[in-house]
Amino acid sequence: MSDAQHKPGAGRIEGGIDAIVIGADAEGLTAAAYLGRAGYNTILLEAGVDIGGPVCARELCPGQNYIDGEHLISILDPAVIADLDLYRHGVSYAARCLDTAYFFEDGETLQLGGDLQMAAAAFDDEEAGPAFQKFITDVFEAAAFCRPGFEAGPASDIEKAMRAAPRALAARLNFFSLAPAQEVLDAYLPDGPLKAALLCEAGFRSAAAPHEPFSFMTLVRRWAGEIAGLQGACAYPQGGAIAVVTALRRAAQAAKVDIRAATGVASILIEQDHAAGVELEGGGQIRAPIIVAAGAARRVFMEMIGAAVIDIEFQRAITAARPKLASGHMHLALKGVARDEKTRAHMNRRLVYAPPREALRRAFADARAGRVPSDLMIEAVFPDALDEETGGEKMQLLSAIAHPLPFDEAPDAARRGEVEKAILANIEKFAPDIEDRIKARALRLASDIATSTGAPAQDYAAPPSIIEQVALARVASSAGYVGGLYFCGREARIGAGLSCAAGRVAAKAALFEAKRGGRAA
Amino acid sequence: MIFPAEDMIVDSPRATPLYAAAASASEANIWTSVNGWSLARVFTSVEKEYHAAKNSAAIADLGALSRWAVRGHEAAQFLSRITTAPAPRLGIGESARGLILDGDGGVLDLAEVSRLSDGLFLLTTPTAHARRLQLGARGVDALGEDICEAVAAIGVFGPRASDVLSAAGMKMPGEDVAASAVVRGVETAARPIQFGALAGVELIFPAADALTIWERLVRRGKAGPIGLDAMEILRIESGAPRPGVDFVAADHPGTATRRTPAEIGLPHLAPLDRGWYNGRRGLRYVATQPERRLVTLSIDDERSMPGAAVFAGGKPVGRITSCAWSPAIKRVVAFADVARPVGAKEYEIAVPAPGEGRVAAKLYETPESALAKAFRQAQDAAAKS
Repeated sequence: MSDAQHKPGAGRIEGGIDAIVIGADAEGLTAAAYLGRAGYNTILLEAGVDIGGPVCARELCPGQNYIDGEHLISILDPAVIADLDLYRHGVSYAARCLDTAYFFEDGETLQLGGDLQMAAAAFDDEEAGPAFQKFITDVFEAAAFCRPGFEAGPASDIEKAMRAAPRALAARLNFFSLAPAQEVLDAYLPDGPLKAALLCEAGFRSAAAPHEPFSFMTLVRRWAGEIAGLQGACAYPQGGAIAVVTALRRAAQAAKVDIRAATGVASILIEQDHAAGVELEGGGQIRAPIIVAAGAARRVFMEMIGAAVIDIEFQRAITAARPKLASGHMHLALKGVARDEKTRAHMNRRLVYAPPREALRRAFADARAGRVPSDLMIEAVFPDALDEETGGEKMQLLSAIAHPLPFDEAPDAARRGEVEKAILANIEKFAPDIEDRIKARALRLASDIATSTGAPAQDYAAPPSIIEQVALARVASSAGYVGGLYFCGREARIGAGLSCAAGRVAAKAALFEAKRGGRAA
Repeated sequence: MIFPAEDMIVDSPRATPLYAAAASASEANIWTSVNGWSLARVFTSVEKEYHAAKNSAAIADLGALSRWAVRGHEAAQFLSRITTAPAPRLGIGESARGLILDGDGGVLDLAEVSRLSDGLFLLTTPTAHARRLQLGARGVDALGEDICEAVAAIGVFGPRASDVLSAAGMKMPGEDVAASAVVRGVETAARPIQFGALAGVELIFPAADALTIWERLVRRGKAGPIGLDAMEILRIESGAPRPGVDFVAADHPGTATRRTPAEIGLPHLAPLDRGWYNGRRGLRYVATQPERRLVTLSIDDERSMPGAAVFAGGKPVGRITSCAWSPAIKRVVAFADVARPVGAKEYEIAVPAPGEGRVAAKLYETPESALAKAFRQAQDAAAKS
């Protein structure tokens, strides 16, 4: 008797399904909800036991949880919120428009309001004020213009959009897309803390250092985002980023999507160049004419479909070496409440430590060479201070993201210690003596998040420049031209953070094709 | 098998294993280079070599073509991934022509695949594709070996090819099917090939034995060598487009002229109902009616030259990509890249001299265009039914 016959589901073929979504992270949930709302009989398959992908709640110490994966929302697709009615399904913001406090090496601080246009208008500096206003106006206009180009999909084409832009805007877009962030900022702003702060924003969570070409687009991508109608804003959802995933799950369930956890997909069935269903790891098949895959491209195409029937150019694009850089997440449970005035004053803001320009350059070089940099960009929030619902009286939680760090497939204890030490040293720069108050800590590196989701560690490395991401997303979202197969995995996403745009675009493309060709189910 | 375009600039072309023999036989001493290898354009005279190949037999140095031996459990799958040739369906000794396509269905090159044994295939292409073969082998159990440097290859063409081989003691089962054997102490592979419409046999053997085999074919078989210029006439007559001349490879840097199989007149080499090959899914997204098409024309004027404008209905529709005087039909035969409507049968060609006007040209059916036509008719009939 063969192995397949031993499997419990072997020989079982499930039909009558319109669409299968593989992977229940935010993008997969989004795609499933869209398909379900369109009246398609949809199954969402997740290999793990948790729904939500990397965004999930974990225990830091007894009585204190933290949200893994993301801590803020900045590029969440407004169309997804509206189409799936996520507010009705529980999304609300504990802090809708977070102000940011920037800290610098020399002890200086700079505060910027969450509404950047207003912050620029009110910027109290004779020289930098008007320059900042001009900068924000120009970049916001470019970011809004590029927004459709940041949606993954075969139609996404920033170059084409640029050609259609008015002449002055096209010239500016050209400058923004090619130039290093450092060069763009030098062209607009005088030297000072504001420039240092924005330089840090441009390099944050990207593999492209601010002094390298194409790096300014990281900031343009961030500022193309919109939270509650406010462009370029950051928000903290009530309950943390997991609240968005929970709302997406509710939206999918309301759309009658059949969510099946612990149901891994072994292979995608291709018949006559068209997706025909999936074969499950536990045995058996589910047949459906539409498959939306939200997993890693390598896993979906190389393992579930197989190299022998994938176009060489496509294989080359999805298996190309990724940057050897990553971000690290650090969650700290702090005893008692903050004692120093400096920290307490800023606890309901987004806190950013911005190293000087030269230190930033060194940090990227060190991280690429596999060394842990001494200077790191840090973005931190105190979730308890932002979200009264989760706030504790005896403990405080600090969630921080540090960048850039070297990418390690499997870091050993010594490397983890080194990274932890570097992150804490940089947090100390804006929260002095914090180490004395730490009750529990959790360091989450790319490899940790990958292990918890079952994905390769490389999937959680820092994304390359936005231009490279757009190019890769265009290729990846074509799903190798396999009819009926749509891809919204990591390679189809543009920008770091929770977006859901790729899931929406994949589902919309599936619905469009199904309507055009007649629903095959 | 067709040679690619001659090299634009090569400082010092390499000598093929047969260079010494070819140099000794070359009275005209006119040389060129292809893929970085030295090749004779003319040995004695173009017309003499052409007639010898058409009526008797001629031998050609095919050492400038790219050759790979492909072994392994999934060698057939690997080749059907790389080329449109139906490698898994080939029996031992069988050969098939195909194309190499990119993921969007754009033509990169021509290809020929022969199965020498269960797990051994020979892949021949006009230009080298080492990187592509490396990428294509990822995830597939196949081993490709570039044998260009290690072997020599001689093509024996013409109606007397079989007699030449017999007289030279090289008669092998390879005249009808691809085979390998030790002939007079030399490990040799032979396979039937076509240079355009001209049937022949290709002998492949270790480079060290190149001169011995060449001498044997010339002295015992009484076969004369044929150069690239005479082969060019045979190529155009047979309707075989030349990579780099009649079409530009889709991955050529800076090219905006991506061509599909239908656009270069070879749709029959990449049918959509054949087993999977690289670019098949991309081809499904390509418009069924090609925007341009490579056609063969016969022209009533010998002054036509590559680059000349082609007119239909008084409007410019394309240009000549290659042409040659055909002693067989006593006219110039040419490849022309023309835009739609491709239904036109009558064309005019601008002649180069100022004030000379235009000359008439007609569509000319070649063996290759006849195959394409039959394929299209079969496709149309299948679509209707």
